[in-house]
Amino acid sequence: MKKKVMSAVLAAAMVVGMTSNVVTVSAKEKYDLTLYSVNTTDPDFEDWLANVEDATGLNINVIAAPTDSDTRQQKVTTMLSTGDASVDIIEINDEMSAAFKNSGWLEGLNDTVMTDDIADQFAQGYVKDMITDKDGNIIGVPGYTGYLAFWVNQEIMDEVGIKSIDTKEDFMKYMKAVSKDGRFGYGGSWEKTYAFNELAQFVNMFGGDYFDWTKEENKEAVQFLHDLVADKETSIEQIADKYEQMNPKINDGKYGCWFMWGLGTDYAKADMLGADKIHMEMVPDFSGKGERTIFTDSWSYVLNKASKNKDAAVKFLQYMADEGGMEASYKAFDRYPARKDVADKVVPDSDPAKEMYSRYANECNVQGRPMVAQTMEFISDMGTIFQSCMKDEITVDEFCKKAQDVVDMYK
Amino acid sequence: MTISKKNMKWIPWLLILPVVLIRGFTTVYPILMTVKNSFFNISILAGINEFIGFKNYLKVFSDPKVLTSISFTAIFVVASMILHVILGVILALILNMKFKGRRFLRTIVLIPWAMPAVVAGMAAKWAFNNDYGLINDFIRWFVPGYQNSWLINTGTARAAVIAMDLWKDLPFFAILVLSGLQFISGDIYEAAKVDGANGIQSFFRITLPLIAKNVLTLCIPFTLWRLTTFDLVYSMTSGGPGEDTALMAYRITTEAFTNLNVGYASALAMLLFVVMAIFSWLNIRVMNKFDS
Repeated sequence: MKKKVMSAVLAAAMVVGMTSNVVTVSAKEKYDLTLYSVNTTDPDFEDWLANVEDATGLNINVIAAPTDSDTRQQKVTTMLSTGDASVDIIEINDEMSAAFKNSGWLEGLNDTVMTDDIADQFAQGYVKDMITDKDGNIIGVPGYTGYLAFWVNQEIMDEVGIKSIDTKEDFMKYMKAVSKDGRFGYGGSWEKTYAFNELAQFVNMFGGDYFDWTKEENKEAVQFLHDLVADKETSIEQIADKYEQMNPKINDGKYGCWFMWGLGTDYAKADMLGADKIHMEMVPDFSGKGERTIFTDSWSYVLNKASKNKDAAVKFLQYMADEGGMEASYKAFDRYPARKDVADKVVPDSDPAKEMYSRYANECNVQGRPMVAQTMEFISDMGTIFQSCMKDEITVDEFCKKAQDVVDMYK
Repeated sequence: MTISKKNMKWIPWLLILPVVLIRGFTTVYPILMTVKNSFFNISILAGINEFIGFKNYLKVFSDPKVLTSISFTAIFVVASMILHVILGVILALILNMKFKGRRFLRTIVLIPWAMPAVVAGMAAKWAFNNDYGLINDFIRWFVPGYQNSWLINTGTARAAVIAMDLWKDLPFFAILVLSGLQFISGDIYEAAKVDGANGIQSFFRITLPLIAKNVLTLCIPFTLWRLTTFDLVYSMTSGGPGEDTALMAYRITTEAFTNLNVGYASALAMLLFVVMAIFSWLNIRVMNKFDS
């Protein structure tokens, strides 16, 4: 009798389990489109989603993207390369954009979303470098504008009596004044997949070309960084650091200046963000000719070519490219609007980033980062030889030769 | 109605057929595809899929990244296994002693093993940090002013990875050795004591020979797990500094899913499979010889 009761209970459980899946499948069919998003862990995400659904009239299914960059890239690549139609809109970063834009996996948006009048409002260098394919199709809508901004610790600057870091000479004076007692004039994240950002930035500052390592300016930039390490003006330990390890050191006052993406949320959380504490500054002019260079980045919304909900997806993208969508993202995710005209309208003058971002846009040569199709391999290989050079395992000349070999292999 | 004996023979096969089919599809099919892909140049981003014969296998011997991975994998497996055996037996002997709190100790010693490797790796990344890590904090109790960034130099980074692997899996090894120790009758030790044997002699003449087969048996799965370690490196060092802590499993995953060179990654996976098969065969031969 007991056995019969148990069998009946197990059978009932199986049936309930199977029918609940049927209910779930039915619920899924009510969505107009599926969004693969990197922002789901943001506390204001639900409010943002409600805003977008209200404004567009769409019912949006959201799938959270992995927070780890490698895993995220792997998943997105698998989805797009296999023609998986379960996701319509994906948020991709510059690395993925460089890899996918010429793959044929993404829908062109020139006629539907990124029409000339809209596309003209975005940073043209970025649109051309990062989200336009070889045939001129714009494949994404930038979600925000970010800069690899130059940050300083004002408390340290005041302590050593440095008023501004405008030129290379100012920078070196700052290095010498700050670097002692466990503190460093310059700080960075030199983990092998992160070092590329700063290496490329310094190459640009010296007037070099990241894809041409025969140039003397490139060698100067690497020698400069090497000498910072040798003179203990920057820490060799940062070759193990990603941003999660670098930012606590910044908040603890270990670094006098650094390059970093974003609007300083990590510093604000530690109550270290402010004009008298940690703030953005203008990129120093290392060229001596008044030329300043800065990198911009973004996460862009792209449309999966295999999507079966393209009309709904276009509606979503149009809103994202519109003032309303940009304002919603700015308010929810603290991300500076990618359109200059929208930024001027919706960002209050009291936002500390507004003035600096405006100056970056007007006074600097704004570029997308130098990337190739095999982005992660390229970034990783360059980062590995850079680490070797900084640790004196290879000379600067050997680094430049190996770097050119890497460029030739992947470009 | 009675079911004839002839019909009854097919029923078990029928009942397990769904599981066999699922298992076949999820295991056998991927293995066959991996073998096939290893002879192709498959680059998802470049849209290439062409037969190239053994070129992927030949590339292994000239790829510095793979050679570094092979070298560190060998060091990692040998070092980790030697320490597993030595320290595992010592820990098992301690856990086998009679003292107050033994049961509690046997329980908490398994906590590291129960922790997901990714969590352990991420915690280790901070633990070995020079400024914020608890390892250097602990060392500074004894050596004030001690400074060492473990994860930036090849030697110390590799030592840190091996140490974390030991911390995580040693307790499980010890518990399994302990189960073998508990089968040894106390009468043997008493008889040895009567004959004048001391503790060390008892260990080498009684304990070790009686648990040797148990330890050798454990070496097979534990070595195979070392050969396929991925998650610890992924979360702790990302293969760095450079590529110096990239174990073979990590290299395979990177080639397949980050660099999207599926054909080359398949060839590396096949080579690892062959190494694992050879090792397992050798181990079983040693055990058979031990038995005879």
